[in-house]
Amino acid sequence: MTEAEKLATLSQMSPTQTALVIGGGVSGMQASLDLADQGFNVVLVEKTPSIGGAMAMLDKTFPTLDCSACILTPKLSEVARHPNIELLTYSEVTGISGQAGNFKVKVLRKARKVLEDKCSGCGDCVEHCPIEIPNEFDQGLGFRRAVYVGFPQNTPLVYTIDDENCIKCEMCVKACEREAIDLAMKDEEVEIPVGAIVVATGFELFDVSKYPRLGYGEYKNVINALEYERLINAAGPTAGHLLRMSDGKIPKSIGFVQCVGARDVTNQVPYCARVCCMYGIKNAVMAKELQPDNVKNVTVYYADIRAYGKGFEEFYNMAQTRFGIEFIRGRVGEVAENPKTRNIEIRVENTETGEYLQHEHELVVLCPGILPPKELRVIASELGVDVDSDGYLFVEHPASNPVDTKVPGVFVCGCAEGPKDIPDSVAAGSAAAMRASITLAKGGEV
Amino acid sequence: MTTAAVELKDWEPVIVAFCCNWCSYAGADLAGTSRIQYPPNVRIIRVNCTGRVDPDFVLDALDQGADGVLVSGCHPGDCHYTSGNLKMRARWALLETAIEGAGISPDRVRLQWASASEGQRFADGVKELTEKVRKAGPFRRKWT
Amino acid sequence: MGSGESPKVGVFVCHCGHNIAGTVNVEHVAELASEFPNVELSTHFMFMCSDSGQALIREKIEELGLNRVVVASCSPRMHEPTFRKVVEEAGLNRYCFEQVNLREHVSWCHMKEPEAATQKARDLVRMSVARASLLEPLEVKTVSVEPHALVVGGGVSGLRAALDIGDRGFRATLVERTGNLGGNLAKLSTLYPNNEPAKDVVDRMSLAAEASENVTILLNSEVTNFDGHIGNFEVTVKNNVTEEESEMKVGTVIVATGFDPFEPIGYYGYGDSPDIITLSALEEMKRDGTVLRPSTAQPPKNVAFISCVGSREEGVKGHEHCSRYCCTAMAKVAAELREEADEVLMLYDDIRTFGKGHEDVHRRARQEHVIFSKYNKKKKPAVKINDSGIMLKWNDVLSGENCEFRPDMLVLANAMVPPEGADEVAKIFSLTRSADGFFNEEHIKLAPLTTHTAGIMIAGAAQSAKSATDSTTQASGAAAKAVSLIARGEVEIESTVASVIDELCSACHTCVTACPYGATSIEATKGVEVARVTEAKCHGCGTCAAGCPSGAIVMRHSTDDQISSMIAALLSSAFVHGGGEK
Ligand SMILES: Cc1cc2nc3c(=O)[nH]c(=O)nc-3n(C[C@H](O)[C@H](O)[C@H](O)COP(=O)(O)OP(=O)(O)OC[C@H]3O[C@@H](n4cnc5c(N)ncnc54)[C@H](O)[C@@H]3O)c2cc1C
Ligand SMILES: Cc1cc2nc3c(=O)[nH]c(=O)nc-3n(C[C@H](O)[C@H](O)[C@H](O)COP(=O)(O)OP(=O)(O)OC[C@H]3O[C@@H](n4cnc5c(N)ncnc54)[C@H](O)[C@@H]3O)c2cc1C
Ligand code: SF4
Ligand code: SF4
Ligand code: SF4
Ligand code: FES
Repeated sequence: MTEAEKLATLSQMSPTQTALVIGGGVSGMQASLDLADQGFNVVLVEKTPSIGGAMAMLDKTFPTLDCSACILTPKLSEVARHPNIELLTYSEVTGISGQAGNFKVKVLRKARKVLEDKCSGCGDCVEHCPIEIPNEFDQGLGFRRAVYVGFPQNTPLVYTIDDENCIKCEMCVKACEREAIDLAMKDEEVEIPVGAIVVATGFELFDVSKYPRLGYGEYKNVINALEYERLINAAGPTAGHLLRMSDGKIPKSIGFVQCVGARDVTNQVPYCARVCCMYGIKNAVMAKELQPDNVKNVTVYYADIRAYGKGFEEFYNMAQTRFGIEFIRGRVGEVAENPKTRNIEIRVENTETGEYLQHEHELVVLCPGILPPKELRVIASELGVDVDSDGYLFVEHPASNPVDTKVPGVFVCGCAEGPKDIPDSVAAGSAAAMRASITLAKGGEV
Repeated sequence: MTTAAVELKDWEPVIVAFCCNWCSYAGADLAGTSRIQYPPNVRIIRVNCTGRVDPDFVLDALDQGADGVLVSGCHPGDCHYTSGNLKMRARWALLETAIEGAGISPDRVRLQWASASEGQRFADGVKELTEKVRKAGPFRRKWT
Repeated sequence: MGSGESPKVGVFVCHCGHNIAGTVNVEHVAELASEFPNVELSTHFMFMCSDSGQALIREKIEELGLNRVVVASCSPRMHEPTFRKVVEEAGLNRYCFEQVNLREHVSWCHMKEPEAATQKARDLVRMSVARASLLEPLEVKTVSVEPHALVVGGGVSGLRAALDIGDRGFRATLVERTGNLGGNLAKLSTLYPNNEPAKDVVDRMSLAAEASENVTILLNSEVTNFDGHIGNFEVTVKNNVTEEESEMKVGTVIVATGFDPFEPIGYYGYGDSPDIITLSALEEMKRDGTVLRPSTAQPPKNVAFISCVGSREEGVKGHEHCSRYCCTAMAKVAAELREEADEVLMLYDDIRTFGKGHEDVHRRARQEHVIFSKYNKKKKPAVKINDSGIMLKWNDVLSGENCEFRPDMLVLANAMVPPEGADEVAKIFSLTRSADGFFNEEHIKLAPLTTHTAGIMIAGAAQSAKSATDSTTQASGAAAKAVSLIARGEVEIESTVASVIDELCSACHTCVTACPYGATSIEATKGVEVARVTEAKCHGCGTCAAGCPSGAIVMRHSTDDQISSMIAALLSSAFVHGGGEK
């Protein structure tokens, strides 16, 4: 189908048979699949060039250390191939009106400059592009061209040209045998009638540079956890080699600092981010697993270890007994760089012993909390839905109706409702699909 | 064939394992995801249930030169098909007699229960069997 | 492709990034495999499951006319469905696919022995190639789905699931073994995170369920018999009061049997003083009115809480898990008790107020001057009871000091454990259990609601300890799975069942006694007695085939020949290569 045909079809959807899902992370993907499997049509709108959300960036997943790409990839394909799902990536929701059973949703199709129906994902264009810029998907650690996919499993497997950095040299246009590149492509808007809406916009990572004392941005060997995930990922910028940024050496000693931008009233993040303890432990274990002979010491500095979920406590125990990870209870005060070695000294009070410690690590990983995405407030006000004091979507009856917003026909799942790990996000995705399917089946009647 | 001296120096036990899909195969998966390390001497054959394991498969493996055989399934009462493992257990008694009767060390075979949540138990079982078989030495019935 | 056609096997070895290739020399394995019998093509690729990996398989099937495919990658328990779909898309029968597990069974468990791991990988691929050469295409069957769901357990999870299915327009039968709906929630006073009275929640949901024309509620009832397969289960439900049994057909099942509050006998003087109670008992008191000290019936003045009672005990089977509700529940009621009590003390290990709104509950307890003290996990608090009451001694790790407190009431935050009868439920529905004793999901990350028994879902505390919010989320999610089965109306089932070769059968009845499902019977055809397998009843365990003395039973997709070929392939290679040589 050409883009024009696609937009024409979308504007003619039958609202009682169609749901809109905003956000293509793991929760939005699950919601889409569970609606589509019931026979409803789903329009899945994702703002980046690919679905997958944060999970696509992760290396392993706690508590089983399953590789994230391995378990996510089949889901990506399933969504892309499902006959009832219309995938609109590189797109944004710009307006919503109407009510349950009959919403009108305006979606902006940002000009990707590559025709989705023509591009085969061969990547022939890439090497001809003269522009190199930091790859957002790799947290800026690796590079991409102006014509790019963030990662090899980009779904749909269609390249995107980033207009901001493209210099219109047309090198890629010449390189593409399939004539898939159209540098003159313009943004387009389409209004789609839908009966129910699921908000699955996920989270944004807390910006750890808001704590200047922790040295992020100032010292090269202080990185954040998502950067670390990309560093140890085989498909990442270092092809999975754990090394530190200042000199490319394998760090012999690594410190993980927990609760950076979580449980902190003064930084407007009073809540617990629910995943950092566990991903911190996971990443600590991975250091030992990847470099058992080189990494001698891995220490986690924490406030409480919140290993609450299925198999978590057992994983936490394993990290200590089998992998010899050290755990020190204490909020890190500040860090300093040794200018010679570029090692990082952590100053922290061990609150269990009262000792004041100065530990030197060759690499320090800050484990940030998570925030609601900035646009969530805009989407919420378009929808007429409340946000809670933490900035996530408000749910009135959490015990009985945990995915229902106050607006009939509008549901929420995953981290858009508050921080969650993958299984809880997936379960919530299914739950939102269930509730949305009731709205559709009843034709919007409440 | 190779001489005994060479054999002993280079010899590593070869063990055939039959694992039921629901408990022990999953337990072995868990051992892997938990990065539990165990001897690399077993070769797992996945069957739906230990009830599927015909004693002939075990004898066949030994006959063809396996140094040991492991059958691993769900704990009694937990079989995905309610009672396949109980049938296997009943057959196992006969099989052991046959094996001993043939003059084969009972240390070469092992029936164990390891559930989907018992990665460690699965690995321990493999370790124990491998050690016993190693002690028992190479078994090359077909060629002796 | 007919089964008579000679096998042309394609072998695809996956790097899985570093996961396999970091330990196993995958290039070498692929190279060796190209020499194995019937192998037409052997290659390796970064991620076989990615779109491009899948495309490679399809491309090679078409290009080279492959009719059997072996993918050497991760556990088939994860990706067998993925790759079966891929070969189907290229026109092959799904049963002509075979997967080798090089990750969970090789690279991850032999990380320090790359050579031995590579050899093991070689052997496993060789075995699977042999088996693949003998694989037969099987007919893919679909069955219709009975438009009716069974929900077991009438707590908030069961209620949520039944309501959703009913609201969606399908029939649900809710079976609850007690005389009341609401489960454990019905015993609580108010709920974190928003202080909603538990009674309001239970009433709202029960009334809606009772009013729904699609929902049938069977109280005082339990499932006693269960048979059949996805789409068509036969269920017997017994009313424990009237002893009456009723039978029904359902297409799918949601198990929401919840938890039991742990009875902490032997912990912290529990049972030795009436004033030492569980958090569950305290909640019940609050629900029924005011909290009174049991021995005096007066409001308590000094209350102490101890966390993790029966939870987080490393090495203690069934008690290693965190119960996930207690920290927040404890902080909430501790703050509330401060309205009356002079001193409220909370002894904890970690404070796990992780969920939405939980930190607010935690902060409120601090604002109300609840005293928080972190106890020493290695030297847990000691409780002494004498005539003057309860004496609590512990070591506060943060100050290092040894402390004492005389509570007039001591509350133990007791664990959530699997409910009584969970063993039976597991057996009836063929569910496996995780180390904590709760039911196992199909996949801990991406399939938390389905189980390994097709058509059966789990939700709520039945899957693991959790809050009401997390429970009802799972319940709606499980309902979505049930509803999509019913909405589609039909579902594919496995063709891997037993069949009898009449000529070989001696009608010895061995298979009849062997089959756990009564799927085999002896029937006279044309005057001759032979065994018959009722396919709809056969679950494919293969017990009959293993028992049959005449070799008359063929287990489809797990034939004697297929299994023997793996043994032979391994051992012939072991000798050709001189054993598992170093
Ligand atoms: C460093 C780190 C490590 C982690 N490790 C683990 C782990 O090991 N195990 C685990 O269980 N969990 C882990 N997590 C948590 C996990 O990432 C989340 O549970 C999961 O990503 C949540 O999925 P989601 O769909 O709710 O949100 P997201 O993954 O954030 O997806 C949201 C999607 O919505 C899109 N979007 C946002 N706004 C809009 C808009 N306005 N319009 C259209 N689209 C929009 C985004 O682009 C994104 O694709 C980790 C998190 C971090 C930060
Ligand atoms: C002291 C305490 C305080 C809590 N406070 C809060 C709170 O403030 N907020 C919050 O969100 N959560 C709280 N919780 C957690 C909450 O109680 C649970 O999340 C919730 O009850 C789980 O619901 P469920 O339906 O999954 O299980 P359950 O409530 O256990 O219900 C299971 C039902 O299944 C029935 N059943 C069991 N076996 C069978 C069988 N074989 N056949 C038929 N029926 C069967 C049982 O009789 C029961 O009715 C608290 C828990 C406790 C113990
Ligand atoms: S735009 Fe053209 S050259 Fe670039 S990946 Fe797509 S088809 Fe290949
Ligand atoms: S929730 Fe808190 S009290 Fe309960 S087991 Fe977990 S850590 Fe212990
Ligand atoms: S394989 Fe045989 S024993 Fe097993 S269910 Fe089928 S007929 Fe019964
Ligand atoms: S299924 Fe594991 S022994 Fe029967």
